[in-house]
Amino acid sequence: MKALTRSDLYFEEEQKLWREMLAGDVTAYEHLINRTYDLLFHYGTKFNSDRELIKDCIQDVFLGVWEKRDALNHEIPPKPYLLASLRRRLHRLASRLRMDCMDYYNESDIVFDLEFSAEYQLIESENDRLLASRMTEMLNELPKRQKEAVFLRFYNDMEREEIAMVMDIQPQSVSNLLQEAFKFIKSHWKTIISVVLALPF
Amino acid sequence: MDRYNDFSLGEFVWDKSFRSWVLNPTREDDETWQNWLVAHPEKREMVARARQLVLAIRPSNSPLPNPEKRMAVERIVERLETRNLENTETVHLPWYAGRAVRIAAMLVLFAGLGWLFWLRHQPKALDYDQLVAATNVEMREIANTTAQPLTISLEDGSRITLDPGSKMSYPAHFNGTKRGGRREVFLSGKAFFDIAKDPSKPFFVYANELVTKVLGTSFTVRSFADEREVSVAVKTGKVAVFSREDPDATEKQSSRELTGVVIEPNQQVVFIRKTVKIIKSLVPEPEVVENTGTAPHFEFDDAPVSAVFNALQNAYGIDIIYDKNIMDECPITATLTEMSLYEKLDLICKAVGASYKSIDGRIVVEGKGCKNN
Repeated sequence: MKALTRSDLYFEEEQKLWREMLAGDVTAYEHLINRTYDLLFHYGTKFNSDRELIKDCIQDVFLGVWEKRDALNHEIPPKPYLLASLRRRLHRLASRLRMDCMDYYNESDIVFDLEFSAEYQLIESENDRLLASRMTEMLNELPKRQKEAVFLRFYNDMEREEIAMVMDIQPQSVSNLLQEAFKFIKSHWKTIISVVLALPF
Repeated sequence: MDRYNDFSLGEFVWDKSFRSWVLNPTREDDETWQNWLVAHPEKREMVARARQLVLAIRPSNSPLPNPEKRMAVERIVERLETRNLENTETVHLPWYAGRAVRIAAMLVLFAGLGWLFWLRHQPKALDYDQLVAATNVEMREIANTTAQPLTISLEDGSRITLDPGSKMSYPAHFNGTKRGGRREVFLSGKAFFDIAKDPSKPFFVYANELVTKVLGTSFTVRSFADEREVSVAVKTGKVAVFSREDPDATEKQSSRELTGVVIEPNQQVVFIRKTVKIIKSLVPEPEVVENTGTAPHFEFDDAPVSAVFNALQNAYGIDIIYDKNIMDECPITATLTEMSLYEKLDLICKAVGASYKSIDGRIVVEGKGCKNN
């Protein structure tokens, strides 16, 4: 039985670009930016709604990587590393703004805030549409940190260690977050299924 | 692959390998799965359903159009090249310590202080004509002199319905305003706003003493020069309202978040001119909030009171506060369709011997519960 793992191919390719970039290859650098930009941007929008600010932060992240390239580890997985840098930058910025504006920025402003939504036209059966709407509701009820872990794991295909790196916590804490999220999802899944099945169609 | 033989729908949906095949398929994955499906034709339907669910339920993203991305990426590379040209010997300071950044920051600071000073020392320009005159952008004005409501479409896709006897001023182009980061209009009278969503450009309505800030939603503003109150009521979404006189109004406007008094559907804010007070309450006749989910139904058969309150809460988007431990003993059997929110509440409270009050835009229910009955 072969366990299906993540597309190692993609992973390898990114690692290769990363190494070439660290060696000073500008083309590889540009490729890497192109490949990771969407992810970084979308992740950034979960912390802050100012698009220009996020783009500036991403730019700083990449320029910073280039400047530090002699000191950076060749084996760091690039995506988690870049996400973690972006997250730190946004946090730093938010805490600076918070200081300037006193209490207008509070803790909640720098928290990961994500809404799930369902695209119903992708689903054929009415029954499953209902199921999807319940699932979306349930996901949106997850506490924010669990949501972030779920987002990184299930929507960005990251491993535990990578998530730990991005969120700047211990791998064990990632496991805990995911476990709690899963417990929540599982317990709700049962009621969702039973409710959906009980409805007359 | 054998472990998938007895998978249920839910297990597929939350299986990491399954998801990565659906979301980021590689040729290898695809082959493995197709082969497995050939061997397990009975699983085809379930896999198809799980696939649709995985694809449909996603984090909502603000889209990043390709040209925008391309420009951003090019900008980074360009920056890099100019940096490489500058001699690489210099010590690299953190980005915010660069000279240009520091000068820019000083300029911004001075401009900000100047603006603040200017704001503070402005004559209190609080009526519509003065507000409009105080802008330095070219404005267009539309006045509704007819007896019917008049609907205007703005260039950003927002639609505004002006009541008779009302007028509104808006810039010829929203991009023309400074920083391009805001959409600002001025109102005298009453209008319903249905604002196109654009989080990067908050929409501001200035109505005499009140400033309303939204990111994309619909709401009504009422501000007649000869009335004692100015009010804002929300239909969908969220808006923030604050007084122009608020010493922190500038920060509240420029904040990226909605600060000030935040109101949600079926809530309203009333500004009483004489006492300069902002009061948050429910609108007189709350309506069911349009929802993406299923239509609300209000038929209950021996349901716990919490289920009823939950249904109302979801349908109207209004918080209902009650003591679940005490009240849940009370079962409700009722058909509440075709009643207003207050009629529904009257009926429920009567049934369980409780009473309700509307406080600060929420409903608070108090009762002794039904243990004794």
